[in-house]
Amino acid sequence: MKALLETVIRGLGNGSVYALLALGFVIIYKATRVISFAQPALMLAGAVAVSYLAEVTGFYAAVLLAGLLIAGVALAVERVAIRPMVGRPVFVVAIITLGVDIVVRVVVNAFIGRDVRQVGDPWGFDQVALGPLVVQQRWLAMLAVTAVLVALLFAFFRYTRYGLAMRAAAFDQETALAQGVSVGMVFALSWGLAGFLAAVAGTFVGTGQGIEQGTWVIALKALPAIIVGGLDSLGGAVAGGLVVGVVESLFQSYQGEYAPWLGQNFAVVTPYVVMLVVLLVRPYGLFGTREVERV
Amino acid sequence: MKSRYVVVSAALVALLSACGVIRGDDEGSKGAQAAGVTSEPCPAAVDKNKGCIYLGTVSDLTAGPFAALAVPITDAQKAFWARVNKAGGIGGTYEVDVTKFVRDNKYNPEVHRQVYNEMKDQVLGLAQTLGSPTTAAILGDLKANSVVAAPASWTSAWEFEDVILETGANYCVEAMNSVDYAMETYKPKSVMAVHLAGDYGADAAAGAKIAAERNGLTFTSVETPSGATEQGRAITEITKNKPDLVILTTGPADAATIVGQAAAAGFKGRFIGTGPTWNPALLKSPAAPALKALYEQSAPGKPWDSDTPGHQAMREALPGVTPNDGYTSGWAWAYPMKAALEKMVASGDVSRKGLLAAVKSLQTVDYEGMLPPEAGNFAGDPNAATFRQTLVNKLDDKAPTGVTTVKDFFVGPTAQGHTFDGPCYAKL
Repeated sequence: MKALLETVIRGLGNGSVYALLALGFVIIYKATRVISFAQPALMLAGAVAVSYLAEVTGFYAAVLLAGLLIAGVALAVERVAIRPMVGRPVFVVAIITLGVDIVVRVVVNAFIGRDVRQVGDPWGFDQVALGPLVVQQRWLAMLAVTAVLVALLFAFFRYTRYGLAMRAAAFDQETALAQGVSVGMVFALSWGLAGFLAAVAGTFVGTGQGIEQGTWVIALKALPAIIVGGLDSLGGAVAGGLVVGVVESLFQSYQGEYAPWLGQNFAVVTPYVVMLVVLLVRPYGLFGTREVERV
Repeated sequence: MKSRYVVVSAALVALLSACGVIRGDDEGSKGAQAAGVTSEPCPAAVDKNKGCIYLGTVSDLTAGPFAALAVPITDAQKAFWARVNKAGGIGGTYEVDVTKFVRDNKYNPEVHRQVYNEMKDQVLGLAQTLGSPTTAAILGDLKANSVVAAPASWTSAWEFEDVILETGANYCVEAMNSVDYAMETYKPKSVMAVHLAGDYGADAAAGAKIAAERNGLTFTSVETPSGATEQGRAITEITKNKPDLVILTTGPADAATIVGQAAAAGFKGRFIGTGPTWNPALLKSPAAPALKALYEQSAPGKPWDSDTPGHQAMREALPGVTPNDGYTSGWAWAYPMKAALEKMVASGDVSRKGLLAAVKSLQTVDYEGMLPPEAGNFAGDPNAATFRQTLVNKLDDKAPTGVTTVKDFFVGPTAQGHTFDGPCYAKL
């Protein structure tokens, strides 16, 4: 039981990183109806920025500065590459985000170099006792930071003017425009928020183990998370991320013992298996908006 | 009517030329110019009166998992051949160019095959073909066209290929020697091989299995995916089964995660990682204390700062670089090609077939002390010619590449008695 709970906490830790990434995807999707494939590059860029800044400012300030820096980069990307595409098919814009992802990663790779870079986190592989459980501090840090950021985000959407504008634009862009909401501002804000969240997520991916040029791949696990949670649900993104993280962690720990017939390393594909199962049962995700089809 | 004859004649000439009849691709015929050999000097010739031998390089230069090693390997080989050219070239008649045909394989077999096809008619052989699965993708063509290639990998499969000019013991032998070294030093009772898939990880795991069986040790094997965030299962298997010895065959970031997290969870067994598992940057990672306490590196050759004429020449040829044993491997890998080219030119048959014949007659190679001369035996049958000596390094903050040798070249009893009748990874 102890081992099981420790495995679940590890899964929740990793899952909260997926949740942060998934939130970025969902925020952009809700505002623009586009899935931004640039998130992996922004995640990597954030982690790399922290790895440089932490040497100067210390870890915590580096995370904040890197978050703001990557939010700025995301804003610039939105202004230069995405805004001119308003009115074009979403497919075209999605393809452009793929191009942005590659361009940003090429630049970031030059800063990573060929070694593993450390983000300078204070946790490393240190552990802490939670009653009878022994867990790594970084899992708890991931969970705590994600909880705080999610709470702030929900408060932002619920109680601020800009949050209300974003909700209005997500509900119906034309009506929002008619009511004086600046849809351009909403687009920019969504990209900025997603950039900030990606940077924080990337930092946590790098805690303990460091980052290398291939680290961006982990951001792709946010895709099953948003499908599981529902493409247009912020709460769903959080739930989807945590579900994917926990399922993956459980399979890593127990599949070899209890289902060896699935072969080695089945855990690698579990996020996608979960996604398929959810798609079969609830095609709009656990918390997504059920689409009404008029015939 | 006349123009029709002109067109037909031109088409005929083009056809014959394309088929190599006019161009003279028949390497067997005397006086014909072999592919990749010109009487004109190399682009950066030291002596403009010498001809040029072009060797290609297909390596993992940007996006693949071994780019951290591949770039230094390639740079070291450029420096190696520049030194050869400066010293008079090959047989006093040719210089060697390894700079014109350098392509990135992104550690992707399909890309590897594509860039090799683009260069294959313009090079005599390959100074470097990085990776086992990537090289396997072009092996058929290399054999069909007698193209000699120096690999940047140590799979045991190369022992059975005439066209592959391998240097140093293979992963299988390295793992056998690691287990035998651990038997002598730590007296383990159980061994676990944690390895990537394919003929890098599986070759070492097979060697560990063979050595474990010979020593009467319990053996388990865990195949793990690449990626630091994907090592949860490997860590669980280690901490659950608590083997006395883990033979690691992964990438460096994977290794740091596995060793660091396993140690944090209370694991106290020993780790020995094959050569490519190590990267000096790991000494700055949170896993460093665990690595220093539990980890050693097996290796097919001595590290950067070793005191041999070859290492000395390498350091002099690469001033100002950040030390990295990618340089050491790349430099050492070039010696057999140099020996074979010299023998080919001396024989008078400057062609791909001439080079292959030269390779098959090599019994020793002068590695200037970097490896024993018998490591360059390509003449005997695979079992007799397989080089079986490796060494073990320990981590050392003060060493330029983070490691110093703790056990010099040795052959353990398992590798000594093993019969190589096929690639090891097939037996895992």
